[in-house]
Amino acid sequence: MEDFGSAALRRLLDAHGDAVTATHAQHGDATAVVERARLPDALHFLRDDPECAFQMLTDLCAVDHLEQDGNPRFEVVYHLYSLEKNHRLRVKVGVPEDDCTVPSAIPVWPGANWLEREVWDLYGIRFDGHPDLRRLLLYEEFEGHPLRKDYAKERRQPLVGPEN
Amino acid sequence: MPVRVVKVKRHENLGFLERLYVPMIVKGFATASRHFFRNMRGFITGDRTDFVVQYPEERVDYADAFRGMPVLVALDNGQPKCVACGLCEFACPTDCISILPGELAGSGIERYPEVFDIDMSRCMFCGLCEEACPEEAIVLSRECEISTYERGAMNFHKEQLLVPEHLLKRRLDFLRAEYDRQSAPAGKS
Amino acid sequence: MAEDQWLTYRERETSDDDFDRDLHTEHQILNMGPSHPATHGTVKFLIELDGESIVDLDIQVGYLHRGFEKECESGSWYQCIPYTDRLNYNSAILANLGFCLGVEKLLGLETPERCQWQRVMGSELSRLADHLTRCGAACLELAAMTPFLYGIQARELTWDLTEALCGARVTTNYIRIGGVKHDMPAGFPEQCRDHIARIRELLKDFDAVITANRIFIDRMRGTGVLDKERLIAFGVTGPLLRAAGVPLDVRKDEPYLTYAELDFDVPVGEVGDNYDRYLVCVEEMHQSLRIIEQCLERLEKLGPGPVNVLDPRVRWPAKGRVFNHMEELIQQFKAVTEGPMVPAGEAYSVVESANGELGFYLVSDGSAVPVKVRCRPPSLLNLQPMPEMLKGCLLADIIPTFDFVNMIGGECDR
Repeated sequence: MEDFGSAALRRLLDAHGDAVTATHAQHGDATAVVERARLPDALHFLRDDPECAFQMLTDLCAVDHLEQDGNPRFEVVYHLYSLEKNHRLRVKVGVPEDDCTVPSAIPVWPGANWLEREVWDLYGIRFDGHPDLRRLLLYEEFEGHPLRKDYAKERRQPLVGPEN
Repeated sequence: MPVRVVKVKRHENLGFLERLYVPMIVKGFATASRHFFRNMRGFITGDRTDFVVQYPEERVDYADAFRGMPVLVALDNGQPKCVACGLCEFACPTDCISILPGELAGSGIERYPEVFDIDMSRCMFCGLCEEACPEEAIVLSRECEISTYERGAMNFHKEQLLVPEHLLKRRLDFLRAEYDRQSAPAGKS
Repeated sequence: MAEDQWLTYRERETSDDDFDRDLHTEHQILNMGPSHPATHGTVKFLIELDGESIVDLDIQVGYLHRGFEKECESGSWYQCIPYTDRLNYNSAILANLGFCLGVEKLLGLETPERCQWQRVMGSELSRLADHLTRCGAACLELAAMTPFLYGIQARELTWDLTEALCGARVTTNYIRIGGVKHDMPAGFPEQCRDHIARIRELLKDFDAVITANRIFIDRMRGTGVLDKERLIAFGVTGPLLRAAGVPLDVRKDEPYLTYAELDFDVPVGEVGDNYDRYLVCVEEMHQSLRIIEQCLERLEKLGPGPVNVLDPRVRWPAKGRVFNHMEELIQQFKAVTEGPMVPAGEAYSVVESANGELGFYLVSDGSAVPVKVRCRPPSLLNLQPMPEMLKGCLLADIIPTFDFVNMIGGECDR
């Protein structure tokens, strides 16, 4: 697979080439699509490898692609940044609708904690191994996951507090 | 480019006097008094230097570019300039404009808005309606004090929104200067 | 009777770890917020206290969640711009800029030079307002009213400039895809120079009253410390990380717009406590003023010119011709009703906002409506390690730490 001139992507392909299913570099952002089962290995490698040295997880979010032929419905997107090397990498992992789980990234970057809670809250994607997977922005009694494309924007829910 | 980094200077070792709080108290008093006496002198001589405006009696003059509530430009005969094309409805991010077009036979302009409502409780004064309007019929006025006792009264109707053109001169002049600047270097776009 | 009571008490409290404690008491749970006078922002702290010291802290955010991303996914790309104003109410231009740079990246647009200088100037004004609010509010919450008034007065001056530039003080809606809303007004450089001089004077007074003040130093020094490795692992950016000694600044590391041509320094601290954070913010304000002056100089040297790209995909036709020409009128109708069509793809744009790295991850499927508008909120990631900063500190240390973490509800909860 092509590395588009990104040293980090080359290293990842050399070490975990079988885990990477696709790469691209649209608009100069190097991107690797990684298999879900191999994600923790890949993320650990990207943090610990001295050539990659991605000490910082800048962002973690999900995208809902709804209708797509054959591709998984959701995508969880990791944006990584290396302070030493001053380079960035985007790692994506596909998540099918009937099995909405992704291995947690908290062992690699503790900062993933709230971001994963937010993705669970708004997309309903579970993170295996998350110690405290509560809703972050919405309240516990909220039904559904509002950023899914099939959640109507007009839908209203009463704001209920805990029963006491 | 090498990053030039400056290290901030911490006041780590306070001297004996500083630890006594005294010099800072004096310095604080001196600074506050300087402001006080300068403002008082300005107040007496009439050359005001204080910052506070006694609001309902005094008002500040907003900048030329100021965006207030959107209003409809009225022609000399009291009719709106609007032709009810609905572009502002499309452009509005909050869907606060609702228009019902009507037909007006016998005058130069045949289309006019029978109903033109703006829900001011949703309007966020972003100005996209003004940018979209192809007739210079809806502009942002300099009025921004719109509070009512009932929620229903926040829905402004056409009659409330109509403002004669000469009262909107400052905004229209500002906009027209912008059009000239836009089309001066490249008229084709 | 008294002896009986003593015995029953001893019988009840016989667990092993109980004997290790100084007092045979339990920890207290304290609810702070969601609306508390000492937190400028709607956030709730659940604090587990051992006397005055903090044992554990749970932060509950989301009270200002308005569905920014959902709202953006239902309108056109243009209609997202006013919503980005409402992310961080102190520095709206920076959020406008981050979003528009992302869309421009997707479209492959390069903006004219004059527009770039104005964008830089606008974003520095925003940064200045944000830092002034942060430092001023921190003083107020530490019960120092006078410096707060000086800070707010200086912020009013920056907002006057913002109003002259954009037409609104807070909700600027200034940056457009491929340009800015309008050119800076005539007489702006003079007004700006005058205001900068006044802001400098106010900053001097601010500094004189507070920086070397022992009361202030005692509250700030050594509180809220977290080492830099930990901060990096948590994804903390901005003045918080720079105060810990890491000179990470997107403006220097990945210069966007014209930052590469500007002369400014990156202030860093040593210890990473609240006092360093305060000093870094004050120094950054002086650097921002320097940048604004340089921008004015360059703009005056550059002379008049276009402030928008002449790309019919994003630019609405010149208004002067819309009124009189059929072709432009049709084009205007098309542009407004359809909105710009952004080619399919994904892009991540990043700007250095006042709180740190503000990123926008945009996904388009080639239509006029975005598939995903993700805002990477610096406030949220900066707030996350706060329990770790405060463990073992006193209850009163929450206030300066929270002030300099500077959580902005609109941006944190979106």
